[in-house]
Amino acid sequence: MKHALSPSRLASGFAFVLCLVPMLASAQVPPRFYWKTLSGANAFPLIYLSVSGNSNPFDPAHVVSDIEFEAEVFMVGYAKVFTLFDRSATVAVLETMGRVTADTRLGGLGAIEQTTGFGDPLVELAIGLLGPPPIKNMPDLLRYEPGFSLDLLVDLVLPIGEYDREAAVNLGQNRWYGRVGFPIVWQLSRWVPGKRTTLELLPSLWLYGDNDDFQGATLETDPMFQVEGHLTRDFGESFWASLDSTLMTGGKSTIQGHVGESLSNLGVGFTMGYQLSENLQMTAGYMASIDDSAPTDLRMDVFKVSLVYGWHKIIEGMGRLGSAE
Amino acid sequence: MNSESSIHRHTIVVLIAIALATTAMAQEDARPNIVILLADDMGFADLGSFGGEIATPNIDALATAGVRFTNFYTHASCSPTRSLLLSGVDTHLNGLGNMSEWTAPNQRGVPGYEGYLNDRVATLPQLLRGAGYHTYMTGKWHMGKAPDKIPAARGFERDFSLLDGGGNYWDMTNVVAASPRLVFTEDGSYLKSLPPDYYATRTYTDKMIEYIESNREDGKPFFAYVAHQAPHDPYHLPREWRKRHVGEYDKAWDAVRQERLARQIELGIVPEGTELSERMWFVPDPTVLAPASRATLGMKMELYAGMVENMDFHIGRLIEYLKQINEYDNTIFIVFGDNGAEGTDLFAMIAGSPGTLNYLWAAVNWSQTHPNSWGDPGSFVGYGPMWAQVSMTPFSQYKGWLAEGGIRNALIVSGPVSRRSAGSINHSFLHVADIMPTLLEVAAVDYPEALNGQALPPLIGKSWVPLLSGETESPRTDEDWMAWELFGNRALRQGSWKLRWQSRPFGKGDWELFDLAKDVAERHDLARERPEKLAEMTGLWEEYAATNNVILPSRSVYEDLQNTLPTRFPQVPGYPPLIYKGQFVPPPEMMAEPKEGSHP
Repeated sequence: MKHALSPSRLASGFAFVLCLVPMLASAQVPPRFYWKTLSGANAFPLIYLSVSGNSNPFDPAHVVSDIEFEAEVFMVGYAKVFTLFDRSATVAVLETMGRVTADTRLGGLGAIEQTTGFGDPLVELAIGLLGPPPIKNMPDLLRYEPGFSLDLLVDLVLPIGEYDREAAVNLGQNRWYGRVGFPIVWQLSRWVPGKRTTLELLPSLWLYGDNDDFQGATLETDPMFQVEGHLTRDFGESFWASLDSTLMTGGKSTIQGHVGESLSNLGVGFTMGYQLSENLQMTAGYMASIDDSAPTDLRMDVFKVSLVYGWHKIIEGMGRLGSAE
Repeated sequence: MNSESSIHRHTIVVLIAIALATTAMAQEDARPNIVILLADDMGFADLGSFGGEIATPNIDALATAGVRFTNFYTHASCSPTRSLLLSGVDTHLNGLGNMSEWTAPNQRGVPGYEGYLNDRVATLPQLLRGAGYHTYMTGKWHMGKAPDKIPAARGFERDFSLLDGGGNYWDMTNVVAASPRLVFTEDGSYLKSLPPDYYATRTYTDKMIEYIESNREDGKPFFAYVAHQAPHDPYHLPREWRKRHVGEYDKAWDAVRQERLARQIELGIVPEGTELSERMWFVPDPTVLAPASRATLGMKMELYAGMVENMDFHIGRLIEYLKQINEYDNTIFIVFGDNGAEGTDLFAMIAGSPGTLNYLWAAVNWSQTHPNSWGDPGSFVGYGPMWAQVSMTPFSQYKGWLAEGGIRNALIVSGPVSRRSAGSINHSFLHVADIMPTLLEVAAVDYPEALNGQALPPLIGKSWVPLLSGETESPRTDEDWMAWELFGNRALRQGSWKLRWQSRPFGKGDWELFDLAKDVAERHDLARERPEKLAEMTGLWEEYAATNNVILPSRSVYEDLQNTLPTRFPQVPGYPPLIYKGQFVPPPEMMAEPKEGSHP
């Protein structure tokens, strides 16, 4: 019973919130993103990202070969699990803050430019299409196994973050963008803490509006197709790890008639997760692009650390009564 | 008695048997094959043909072709029942006066209380083998582990046997730290390891088919004893069998018991008007339980149902094989459970005390407690008293006790020996000890007066052959009686009367008297109302005890229950009202918003 009804199950279920970083497409969605949890559950994610590369991490489709970008970013948000059309659904908002630095001193010229503040908020809605029914109550939670699940994911980034038309880098992007994706979780082993193995895929299509004030010009970006993959495995009841990969293609940018290159990049990395307490889970990971030798290739690496605090009023109450075990 | 001399004696028996076999072969051989299908801890009401919702089509097909018996008695626990089955002699004489796990200090060293099937009895396979039968056993033995006590030494020509009382279904891991490995034998040799792809229920079936196949060309009949470990806890089950009843038992035990009783009445298993036994006082009313609690407990019953269905599937494989080799029509099938369903938390009893070796052993080997791991090798799930009561619908209590729920089980007999209407139901008083005289008569074997120069105790059962042939409706008259004693608890049945003494709190620590014709649920103790009947039956009990060397134990597995279980109160539906009263809803026309007050 301890494992079945423990709040830790909720917290681990909230691992999904870790991945609310589609605004940083190159950072990819973390593993165990689309595991379901009890309807009515809530989560506060806190995510730290350290990103470097040749593209603004908020706009990976826009590669600038002679600039080095560095970003130190915190993302905070809130997520809620609910039932929609008798399917499991999640709605979340995530706000980005931090600093992005662009170093244009390659070749001994140029300068360092930095921007700080708040980026564009993201709103996400995910709903299960195929797979297990929604976890409406504790009996459902007891019986949950993903088996094979396929969800519909819609992300929308609102262009209300800080944006300076004269700056080389910005946290806000001054355009609408988002994506439609189909997260897949395929259970490969017994669904028992300490034994779980999954293969997770997320094919998605990013769609970008125009930034009509990109240093006085118009920035247009073609749709970008992305497939993320994770092979995850428990290495204890509280510890898991994942091999991660992401493939991006398309996303060709055009600035005032000047056409850039389409992306075709592969990144690989790993993630480790640990359940710190009944309500709190931590993950840490690293990912880097591997086919990035050409000047026009996206080159980026990302360190990620996240903390997610999850709770549900029933579980919390049971804990207060001492019966959560 | 040392093992060597005993083996020598058994060798002589075998030689005699071979000689007798020659004679028997001359009859070749209208005698039927015999298959005993014994389920471990399966309840009276679990089979579909006895009112259960569990899908048991193969066993039910035997019921449809044969006869169901509703007044069949076993003993209250595993090895005593098995000893009665294979010796036909009272437990206090055959060595199982107490289980070896619970031999009381005052029973140690006393003949009849050895804890194994002693060598002062002849066994059914010994006698059948001597009369020309092939004798095969697969499954749980639980009547001795020494070389002279294993199945090969007690009459089985071929065997694949678990000598322990239970344990892992997937490997040799035992539950008890002191004896960490289960012990198996195959054809008289102790196994170093188990066959590849071992799963108890499947392997027992495979082996039995292999044994029958190996000798089927010689024309001799066979006696096949398939003593399934299933559905004894731990409920170990292949994954594909675990999800066949998802959510079906969330309605909980009271509802399922009522549904089973309704079907039993409809089928004619019990008469119209039969009352359910009381829900045991320490079993919660499921209507006041949270959904998660009901679901969790329901999942245990889902797993148990899967165990029974898996066993039925493998029984079906054996039946199908016999049909394929054209032996089905000449085979007697006897199907029953060895005692009442298990309501005691065996795992807690063994490994429930932190700091003990057994707890440490369980932490390493038996600690898969997540519901999704239930059924896996490292899990130990039993379904508890609430579902044991369901399995024993409509009876009272469960395994280990001498209430009807502990000793009464479903019995199916089919095959050429039966001339009764196919699918019929018989309510006569039968006992597991009847099987030995029945099968000896079927096989045309006389029960010997002596074995190895030693007089044999009498068989206590009565042959069912006249009953099965339709000559009579019962092998017993209303004056015939049978008695039980185990763990100090006592019972005696004569006609429809049942005398019972059980320790507190399951009993009163005194004699109780029930008229099962009117009160099969043992709700109404008539001891005070019928003192003359009570005296008559206690007299019979004293006669039984004296004749069979009954020594009441000075210690018992249940000796502390009075202190560990909640105080026993009568179970009255709806009490206390505090937890049952629903929300009061005032008349709508009298509802109002609060008035605005005037502020000083």
